[in-house]
Amino acid sequence: MIATPGILQLDAALRALVLLLTVLLPASVQARTLHFAADTESPQPLTIYGVVDPPQVRPLLADFHRRNPDIAIAYHNLETLALHARVLQERGAPRADVVMSPAMPWQYQLANEGLSTPVDSPAAAAWPSWARWRQELFGFTFEPIVMVYRRDLVRHMPPPQSHAELLKLLQQQPEALSHRVVTYDPRRSGAGYTYAIEDARISARYWDLVEALGKTHSALETTTAAMLEGLSDGRYWIGYNLIGSYVQDYVAKHPELVMVVPKDYALVLQRLVMISRDAPHPATARRFVEYLLSAPAQRLLATQTTLGAVHPSIDGIGTAADLRERLGEAIRPVQIGPGLLATLDTLKRQTLLEQWQQAFKNHSTYADGPLADPSPLPQTPQE
Amino acid sequence: MSSSRRWRLSHLSLYRRLTIWLLFPLVLLVAIMLLQAWFASREAADRAFDRLLDAASLSIAEQVRWQQSRLWMDLPPSALEMLATDAEERVFYALYDAQGRFVTGNRSLPSLPARDGNRMSYGDVISGDMPVRLGVLRARLEGWDRSDRFEVRVAQTREGREALANQLFLASLINIVIIAGLAMVVVLLSARFALEPLTRLRRAIRQRNPRTLAPLELALPRELAELRQALNELLARMRRVRANQERFIGDASHQLRTPLAGLSARAELAMRQSDPDAWREALATMHGTATHTARLAGQLLSLTRLNNPEATPAKQAVDLAALAQRCVRAAFSRHHRQGIDLGVEIPEQAVVVLGNDWQLEEALNNLIDNASLYGASQITVQVTDAPPRLVVRDDGPGIPEPQRLLMLRPFHRGQQTGDGSGLGLAIVDSIARAHDIRLSLQAARPGDPERPGLSIALTFPVNA
Repeated sequence: MIATPGILQLDAALRALVLLLTVLLPASVQARTLHFAADTESPQPLTIYGVVDPPQVRPLLADFHRRNPDIAIAYHNLETLALHARVLQERGAPRADVVMSPAMPWQYQLANEGLSTPVDSPAAAAWPSWARWRQELFGFTFEPIVMVYRRDLVRHMPPPQSHAELLKLLQQQPEALSHRVVTYDPRRSGAGYTYAIEDARISARYWDLVEALGKTHSALETTTAAMLEGLSDGRYWIGYNLIGSYVQDYVAKHPELVMVVPKDYALVLQRLVMISRDAPHPATARRFVEYLLSAPAQRLLATQTTLGAVHPSIDGIGTAADLRERLGEAIRPVQIGPGLLATLDTLKRQTLLEQWQQAFKNHSTYADGPLADPSPLPQTPQE
Repeated sequence: MSSSRRWRLSHLSLYRRLTIWLLFPLVLLVAIMLLQAWFASREAADRAFDRLLDAASLSIAEQVRWQQSRLWMDLPPSALEMLATDAEERVFYALYDAQGRFVTGNRSLPSLPARDGNRMSYGDVISGDMPVRLGVLRARLEGWDRSDRFEVRVAQTREGREALANQLFLASLINIVIIAGLAMVVVLLSARFALEPLTRLRRAIRQRNPRTLAPLELALPRELAELRQALNELLARMRRVRANQERFIGDASHQLRTPLAGLSARAELAMRQSDPDAWREALATMHGTATHTARLAGQLLSLTRLNNPEATPAKQAVDLAALAQRCVRAAFSRHHRQGIDLGVEIPEQAVVVLGNDWQLEEALNNLIDNASLYGASQITVQVTDAPPRLVVRDDGPGIPEPQRLLMLRPFHRGQQTGDGSGLGLAIVDSIARAHDIRLSLQAARPGDPERPGLSIALTFPVNA
C-alpha cells in the first residue's frame, strides 16, 4: 500500500475511530453482499462498495438492473470506516467501481486524494453545484438531521420545533427533562462527531445547548436506532440529532413518536457517490452513476426509500425541493468542500471533543478548555 | 526551372519584397509578444492564487499553540475552504514542528528553501502523483513560555491557476491579434502607397510618344527623381546620337550627290559632242569619279557598320607584324605605280594583340591610302613590340596641330586639295575606339616646316 506519512497517521487515527464508531446504521445491519446476475451472454460486471441499508438500496439496484439487464451487479454493504479503510488499502488496484457512503468527510478525503474519476456527462454537469464536487463526487440523497419527541410530551410542555426552542425548554424545565433527552455521543460516534462539528460551525449557541444537555444529564447513544428504541420504550422524551432517513421509516411504524425537522436550521446529510480512479469497469460504473443522477432513480429514491432525492426536477414528499419549500433558508446541507478535511484532523477532533466534554460536564466553556487564553492579561498598575 | 526562378529574390516584385520584409519582423514580433503574454499570464495567475495560500496558511498558523506538551492546532475549516475556488482544487495541508516532524495534516508535504526576508515561500512540486502549488509559512509560537518555530505547509492543485492564466492569455491573445491585424493592414496599405509614384512613372513612360526624346517632367520622390534624372540623361544622349546620325546622313547624301551630279553633268556634256576623243576623255573622267564615289560609298558603309553598337564582332589573336606585311604587300604595286615609296618595318617576332583582323586591316589600309591621297611620297608602316604599336609615317604636308582632333570627325578634310573623302581617319578612330586603342597624331619630321609629314600611332592596350 502506497501511503504518505500523513495518510499513515490518519489511518492510525481512523483505526482508533473504528472502535468508537458504530456508524450511522442500526446495529443489526452487518456487512452484506447483494448480487444481481446479468441475463445476457456477455455480462458487464459492476462492483459497488456502499454504506446503504439493503432494504433501501435493493429497490434502487433492482430498478437499475431492470433497465440494464446486461450488467451483473455485486453490491457490498460495509460500515463507513471499514469502507474507507478498504478503499485506501486497494488504492493501487481498486476492486470497487463505485463507492457510496454517507460519511461525507471520509468520502471527500478519498476524492481529494485523487482516488475518484470525473464523470463527463450532461447529467453530471447539470447536477446542483451544492451537491457535487469537481464532477467527481455527487451527493445523490437528501437526509435531514432531525429531532424526535414522544407524542405525549405535549402534556408536559410544548414540543420543541427548533434548536432554540429545545435550548429554552432545557433551561426552563431542567428537572422535568432530567435524563429524558438523548443524543449522539460525539466521542464514540463518528456521525455524532460530524454533527457536533457542523452544529458548532453554524452557531456558537451550540455550546450553550451542549451545556444544557449536560445539566439535564442527557443520555448519550451511538446509533440512531438505539435512540429510537429508547424513545419508543418511553425512557427518553426527546431525541436530538437523529438521522432523518431512519427516523422516517421508524416513525411510520411507531405512531407514538413524532419527527421534527428543526425550523431554525436543519443539517442535511448526503450520501456521496464516486467512481474509483482506475476502476476495473469504468463504463458500467459510469452508467450506474448516470443512473443515480437521473430523474427515474431520484424519483425512486424519493418514493420507495426514505433517502430523499436531490434532482431539482423531482418534487413531493422526501425531496430536496420539498424540504426547501417548507424550511427555506433553514436547510443546511453539509458543504462538500475542503472544510470537511478539518473534520478529519486528529488535533481538531481532540480539541472539539475536549471542548464538548468541558461543556457537557458543566465546566465553564472557556475556563481552561482549548480556547483558554494561555497568558493572563497584565495587571493594570493601580494609582 | 520556373519554380526556382519564382523563388529567386531578384524576381520578386517590389511590393512583395516590401510586404515580406515588413511582415516577417511583424510576425516575429507577434510571436515574441504571445510568448511573453503566455508567461506573464501564468505569473499573474500564480501571484493571485498565491495570496490564497498565504491567507490560508496565516489563518492556520494563528491557531497553532502549545498544548499538552506539544504543538497543537485547532484547524479552522474556513482556512481550507478559502483555498477551494470555483475550480474546486484539491487541498492539502500539514503542520511541521521545528525539527521537521509531521504534527498533523492530510498529506506529508515537502519543505521549500526559505527566501530571505520572506516568511512565506512558494513552489511547484509533485505531491503523490499530482502537480500542486505549495506554500510554506515559517512562523513561531507567540506565547510567554514557548517560542517554538513551526512550518505550515499548504498546497492546492493548479486547476484554478490554469483557468485564470488561460483566461488572461486569451484576453492578451485577442488584443495582440487585433493589433497585429491592424499593423498588417497598415503595412500592406503603406507598401502600396509607397510604391504609387513608381506606378505613376511607369504610366508616364508608357504613355509617351515613342518618337519623342524630350525629357520626362514628373514630380517624384527623391529616389525616383534620381531614376528620372538618369533616364533624362540617357534621353539627352540619345538626342545627341540622333542629331549626329542625322548630320552624318545629311553629309553622306551630300557627299554622294555631288559626284553623282558631276557624273550626270559630264555625261550630258559628252552626249552633246560627237567627237569620240571627247567621249573618251569624258568616260575617263566619269570612270575616275565613279571609282571615287564607289570608294566613298564603301567607306560610308564600313563606318556605319563600325558605329553600330549592336554588331561587335568577336576578337581573336592577331599578329600585327603579319597584318602590316600583308597590307603593305597588297598596296605596294598600286603605290609604286604612283611613284610612292611604301615601306614596312617589323620586328622579327610576332606581335600578337586581341582584335578583329578585318577591322584592323581596314584601319591600316585607310591610313596608308590617306597618306598617299594627301600627297606623301614616302610612307613607312612600322610595328613595334612592348607596347604593341602600329605607326604609319609619311612625308606629306602634315596637319597643323590645332586641326588634328577635328580630322577624326567624318567629312572633315584637312585641306581642299586631294581627292580624299574625309572619312578615312573617322573610320580609323571608330576602329580604335572599338579596340581600346590609343590614337595619337604627331608631325613625323618636326624639323622640316615645308613638309612636316604626319605620324599616326595606334598604341594597343598592353594586356590585350
